[in-house]
Amino acid sequence: MSDDDFLRVADVSKWYGDEQVLEDVSFEMDRGDVTVLIGPSGSGKSTMLRCVNRLAEAQEGSILLDGEEVLSPDLDVDDLRREVGMVFQGFNLFAHLSARGNVALGPRRVLGLSDADAGERAEEQLDRVGLADQLDSYPAELSGGQKQRVGIARALAMEPKLMLFDEPTSALDPELIGEVLEVMHGLVDEGMTMLVVTHEMSFAREVADEVVFLDEGRVVERGPPDQLFERPDEERTGRFLERIASHD
Amino acid sequence: MSVAGTLALAAAESLGAVASESAVGAAPAFIGEAADWEFVFRNADYLGVGALLTIGLTVASILLGFLVGFPAGAVEVYGDGSLKRAVSVAGVVLRGTPIVVILIVMYFVVGVPQINLGVASVSSAVTAGILGLGLRSAAYQSQIFRAALSSVDAGQLEAGRSIGLSRFEAVRHVVVPQALRRSLPGFQNEFTIVLKDTSIVFAIGLAELLTRGYDLFSEQTTAVLEVILFISAIYFVLTFTTNRALDRLGDRYAIPEGESA
Repeated sequence: MSDDDFLRVADVSKWYGDEQVLEDVSFEMDRGDVTVLIGPSGSGKSTMLRCVNRLAEAQEGSILLDGEEVLSPDLDVDDLRREVGMVFQGFNLFAHLSARGNVALGPRRVLGLSDADAGERAEEQLDRVGLADQLDSYPAELSGGQKQRVGIARALAMEPKLMLFDEPTSALDPELIGEVLEVMHGLVDEGMTMLVVTHEMSFAREVADEVVFLDEGRVVERGPPDQLFERPDEERTGRFLERIASHD
Repeated sequence: MSVAGTLALAAAESLGAVASESAVGAAPAFIGEAADWEFVFRNADYLGVGALLTIGLTVASILLGFLVGFPAGAVEVYGDGSLKRAVSVAGVVLRGTPIVVILIVMYFVVGVPQINLGVASVSSAVTAGILGLGLRSAAYQSQIFRAALSSVDAGQLEAGRSIGLSRFEAVRHVVVPQALRRSLPGFQNEFTIVLKDTSIVFAIGLAELLTRGYDLFSEQTTAVLEVILFISAIYFVLTFTTNRALDRLGDRYAIPEGESA
């Protein structure tokens, strides 16, 4: 563990009431890294992700982002979130706004851009995710894959230094997963720092610098994808990967 | 005797007259030559002034109800502590008190003063009427907006927060625009109810449309049905046009939906 890690999660613990959902979770990322969190449902991976932008509150531990303590009570969470983009499993697009409106809202209201500049930025970002032809479509008029790409564009429009993906393809029909993964591959190529919760093992295998396997709120094992997928040290990791593989 | 009681009695007498005339082959009083429409039209301006008061009271009360009721509903959903408790207690008290009692309290107990607006002055009874009807409407409207705000998926607020909007901004720019659209049907109901409930200001001595109609047919009991029909038509036109206008508003701001979605 070096002092200049871009993101350093150290001994993070969280409880819902008496139930501990995260127990001393630790991992680190460098700028430009892609880290993939995997694990069975209920293992705490989504909760861990949400602790990074404080949509969930960790009770113990430390999360240093670019040298700043994310868990500090003095931290302005709105300042944190404008630098950390998030993509949701259920898209959560603003239902009353067009694709352009969805993407422009942050630049307009958070960054203080003019309507024209925010609209222009929205168009650029929608073009980036391949939706230049859907600027005026509303969420209900889009396919799942298109919705999620708008969700990615919405996060990118804030020019984040870290992107969080919370099971971005889990709510999609199988034939729509590819277009979202393609956009994510593009971001990897551009050097975006990404922390991804996903069940897409092929994506993890192809782009992850590190894969972290969580079970019952604990890090069971972590390492480069080649090692973790081919030669897991822990029996539990192997069993989980076999279960996932048998569904593919 | 109460106005309602007298009204019912007068209506019954008139219907009785109709029935007996029909029995001997004459046309019913309210459609035939014997109908006293001429009396109604002679007094149309008298009723017109009442209609203006009805419209004024409705518009002012609905507006006050919205300005107070919307924030109250938001406090009930997003607030906490003593403010939320105070708002919900005030709502329960207002919804649980008969409107006549609210109006009497406003006029006789609170003693609302006359308001001078330069060009016109609003009598203390009208002010009390607006305050009473408006605050009661606020109590009802707060529940319309509370339900609408609560019905917006929590993921919407969360997504708003995730791009760095404060809680207030996320509610304002993400949740409220959706909630307002969903509150329109309830708001149409409330508008209709307030319009017709304005007649209860007779309790503090104001003569709006229905009270003026009552004055007229008390004077000429042969024209009870004509007067009532005329007044009902005015209420119907007011209700119908405003509801259609609100429908148009709803269509205009409807969120487009895909065919497959």
